Amino acid sequence: MSDFKMIAFTSFPQYQETFKTPVFEEDGDEMDLDENGFLESDELKLAWPGESLTSAQAYMRGHGTYVDNDEVIASVAGVVERVNKLITVRPVRTRYNPEVGDLVVGRITEVQARRWKVEANSRQEAVLMLSSVNLPGGVQRRKLESDELQMRMFFEEGDLLVAEVQAFFGDGTMSLHTRSLSYGKLRNGQLITVPPNLVRRLKSHFISLPCGVDLILGLNGYIWISKHVKENEREGEEGFDAEAVYSNRNDNIDDSTRIAISRVANIISVLASYSVPLTDTILLEAYEWSVEQEGDPKDLLQDHVGETLVTTVTARG
Amino acid sequence: MTSRIEILNAGGYRSDGRRQFELRTIEIDFSPHGSNSDGSATISHGLTQVSVSVFGPREAKMRSQTFHDRANINIELNIAPFSAGERRKRGRGDKRVLELVQTLKSTFEPVIQMSLYPRSQIDIYVQVLQQDGGLLQACINATTLALANAGIPLFDLVCAVTGGVHSTSPLLDLTQLEENDLPNVTIAVMPRSGKMALVSMETRLHVDRFEEIFRLAGEASTVIHGEIKRAVKETTANLVDAMQPGKSSAGTNAENEY
Amino acid sequence: MALVSVSKAEKSYIQAGILASPAHRLDGRSLHDFRSIALETGVAPLANGSARLKIGRNPQDGSGGTEVLAAVKLEVENVEGGTGGVDGGRIVCSVSCSPSAYPNISSGALDDLQHDYTDVINQTLSHPSLHPANLGILPRKKSWLLNLDIVVLADAGNIYDALFMSARAALWDTKVPRTRSIEYKARKSGPSAKDKDMVGGSGDMDVDQDTVSGFDTRHTSGAIDFELPDYWDEGEILDGRNRWPLCVSLNLIPPAHFLDATLQEEASASIRVLLMFSFASPGQPTLQGMRMLGPGELSMASLKALIKEGGKYANEMHSALTSKLRDEDLRRNQKAREKFALGNLWVYIKCASNPVLKIITQLARNGLYGRASMEYRIC
Repeated sequence: MSDFKMIAFTSFPQYQETFKTPVFEEDGDEMDLDENGFLESDELKLAWPGESLTSAQAYMRGHGTYVDNDEVIASVAGVVERVNKLITVRPVRTRYNPEVGDLVVGRITEVQARRWKVEANSRQEAVLMLSSVNLPGGVQRRKLESDELQMRMFFEEGDLLVAEVQAFFGDGTMSLHTRSLSYGKLRNGQLITVPPNLVRRLKSHFISLPCGVDLILGLNGYIWISKHVKENEREGEEGFDAEAVYSNRNDNIDDSTRIAISRVANIISVLASYSVPLTDTILLEAYEWSVEQEGDPKDLLQDHVGETLVTTVTARG
Repeated sequence: MTSRIEILNAGGYRSDGRRQFELRTIEIDFSPHGSNSDGSATISHGLTQVSVSVFGPREAKMRSQTFHDRANINIELNIAPFSAGERRKRGRGDKRVLELVQTLKSTFEPVIQMSLYPRSQIDIYVQVLQQDGGLLQACINATTLALANAGIPLFDLVCAVTGGVHSTSPLLDLTQLEENDLPNVTIAVMPRSGKMALVSMETRLHVDRFEEIFRLAGEASTVIHGEIKRAVKETTANLVDAMQPGKSSAGTNAENEY
Repeated sequence: MALVSVSKAEKSYIQAGILASPAHRLDGRSLHDFRSIALETGVAPLANGSARLKIGRNPQDGSGGTEVLAAVKLEVENVEGGTGGVDGGRIVCSVSCSPSAYPNISSGALDDLQHDYTDVINQTLSHPSLHPANLGILPRKKSWLLNLDIVVLADAGNIYDALFMSARAALWDTKVPRTRSIEYKARKSGPSAKDKDMVGGSGDMDVDQDTVSGFDTRHTSGAIDFELPDYWDEGEILDGRNRWPLCVSLNLIPPAHFLDATLQEEASASIRVLLMFSFASPGQPTLQGMRMLGPGELSMASLKALIKEGGKYANEMHSALTSKLRDEDLRRNQKAREKFALGNLWVYIKCASNPVLKIITQLARNGLYGRASMEYRIC
C-alpha cells in the first residue's frame, strides 16, 4: 500500500465557452441542389434527415431515404451511397441490421416452447429454434419430446451464444442457427459491446491472437473474448460432445491468459470510444503496442494512454 | 413579484439583457447520458437544459404494446425536482408530465418513419435538468437531436421555438420570468416542408398578435434548425472521419489467417 | 431483480478472477481499485448546492459509467401549524432514477429501486447526529427545510457509493442564506405609512439591525419574521460539511471482497455490505449505518473484520474526495471572480435605471440569474 492509490478524482471536461448567440441570419451553408453534381463525383457526401438529395425521376430511393414531391430525401444522418440509379443513405450510427449469413453473438432472454428468444442488439429479439441447434447424440438426429422438456439443459436465460443468421420470418424477426461446431454456447471469457458499425464484414469473424486469446467479432457489435481453445479440443473426440458444448463450467485459465483477455477488452473499448473500426490487424497491432509499453491492462483506460494507442495504430495502418 | 421587473425596458432590452428577437445561446452535446443508449443529446437554451436518450428500435417490454404494422413510440419524461426556482417533485402520473409526454408523442409520431419497424418499440427518455422557460421547446429540440443521433429514420428535423407578446411587442425564446407574465405560444416546424408539427398555447392572446408571433416564431425556427443541422452534420462528419478506411487498415485483413 | 443479465459461465469467470492470486478483474483492476471518478460542484444554478459525479466515465467520448446529479434546495418552513416543520430545521432526501439509467426494467421495478435508494440515503443523512446547526431561522417559528434530491442518470455499478459521494459533495457545496430577524414595534403617530413606503417599502416592519436579539428574552418573542439582508450574497456554508457520511460498498466473494464493482461483478458477488461512515474529525470514521444486500450470509467475526477494513477504505475515500472538493471550491471562486469583473463592467456600461433590473442583469451575466430571482422572490 505504499504509493498505491485506491481512488482518484478527475474533472468533467469544461464546455467550450461559446459566446455565439444566434440571431436572425440567412442560412448560408445550404447544400446546392445540383441535379447530378455530387452524386456523380467520388467525393464523400453526407446527409441528414430532411436533406433533399436529388430528383426522384432520375433516381430510385433506397434505405435511409424517402420520396416526397418528386424529390429523394434523406431520412437518416449518414453517408450517401449510389449504386447505378439507387440512392441510399447509410446511417453512421444505428442498431444492428441483420443479413442472412451474418455471425452474431447473442444472449438468451427467454425459453419458450421449442424455441429460445435471443437478444442480439437488433430491432427485435432473434429466435433460435430447437430444431436449429445441435442436439446430443449426433448432429443429424431427430428432436425428441424429451429435448423439449430439457431445453434449459442446452441454453438457459442469460446464456451467451454465437450463431449465424439463418433466415427471416414474415414479420422481419431473424432466426438463428448454431448447427456448426464453431457455434454454440460461450465460455472461458468475457463480453464487450461496441457500436455494430465498428465491426466490418470480414473473411472470418473468429480471430485467434497469438497471446492465447480467441475473439469472436459478432456483426451485431457483441464481441466475445476468451481463452484460446485448440481446434481439436473444440470438436471433442467423437465429433460432438454435448456435455462439453452445453457446459457452463469454465476451463482453468491461468494468470497470463486472464491478463491478456483484460488487455484485449480494454483495447477494444478504447478503440470503440474513438470509433476505430475493428479488424484483426488493428487489434493485433494495438495488442503488441500495449505489451511494449509494459503497463497493466488498466493503464489503457487512462486518457493519454488510450489516445497514444489510437494515434499509433491508426497511423501505422 | 414580477411586476417589479421590467420585461422590456425603454432601451429595448429584456430582463436578461437580450433584444426582442434575440435567442438564447444554444449548446448541443451528444455525449451519452444513459447507459448504452442508442442515441442521446443534451440541449441548453440559456439556462434551460434537457437531456434525451433513445433506446431502440428494440423488442417491446410488453407484448400488448406492439403494433403489427408500425413501431410503438414510448416516451417517458422526468423533471429533476431541483430544476426550477421552486422545488417540486413530479411523479410519472403528474398531470403536467403526462401532458408534456402526450404533446411530444403527437409531435413526433408523424415525423418518425414508424412503419419501418413493425412490432418494435422506440423508447424516448426525456430528463429535464434545468428549467428557465421554453421547456417544451427544449424537449422537442433535444428529442429531434437524440433521434437523429440514434439513426432512426425521420422525415425531417423538427425544430421548436417559443414566442410571446409584451403589450404589443413580440418577444422570442422566453425565459421563465417572461413566460409567467406574458401570453406565449410554442410552435414546432418541419423546416423542409414548412409544415407545423405543433402549436401549443396555454394563455390568451389577441388574434392579431397571434399572427405576428406565429410568423416570427416560424422565422426563428429556421435559425434553430440551422443550429440543429450544424450539430448533426458535425457529429456525422466526425464519425465518418474516424471510420474512414484510409485512416485505419480495414480491408487489408485477408492475409491474416491463424 | 436483475439489472443485468449474466450467464453462469461469465459469473464463474468473474468469481475465479476475484479469487485468483493475484486477483484479476475484467478491466484489469485489482480488488480495491476504483474506476476514475469525475466530479463537479455547482452544476445546478437554481439550487443552493449541487454536484455531478460519474464513476468510470470513458475519457474520450464520455460514455459508460455510473452518473448521478445531486442538488440541495432550501425552503422556509413554519415550525407551527402542523406543516411538518421542526425547530432547528430538517433534512429530507429523495432519489429518483431516470429510466435511461435502467432501460431494461419495468416502471414498477424502477419505482421500487428509487424507493430503496431513497430509504438508505434518507435514513443515513437525516440522522440527528449529523444535523447541521445553522438550519434554524427563528426559534419556534421558522426554519429551513433542506431538500436533497439525487437523480440517477446512469448505473454501471456501485450506485450507493456514487449516491453518497454526490450527496456529500452537494451538501459541502450548500450555502445557507443569511437571515436577519425583523419585528413589529409600537409606533407613535408620527410619519404616516405612506412616507415609509416611499423610504423603504417595508411598511410597518422595522429592520432589527443587530442579530443579537436572541439573547434578550423580551425581544425573541417580538421577532415575527425575517428578511435576507443581501440577496446577491451566497450565504454561509452549511454547518458540519466535514461530517457528511460516505458509503463503502464491499462486494463479497468469500473469502475475498472488492470495491467499486461493475454491474456484472455485482451480479456475481454473493453478498454486498454497505457501510456508511461519518467523519467527526478527519481520519476518524464512525460507523453511521449498515446494510446487507443479496442472498448470502456472514459470520459475526468476518463482519467485524469487514467493518475494520471498510473504515480504512472510507478514510481514503474521504481524503481524496475532500481534496477534490477543495479544488472545486478554488476553481469556482476563481471563475466567479472573473465573471463578476465582466458583469460589473457590463452593468456599468448599460447602467440600467431600475436598480432591481440592474442587479438581475448583472447576475444574469454572471450565470446566477436563477438564484437571484429566487432569492429576490423570498424577500
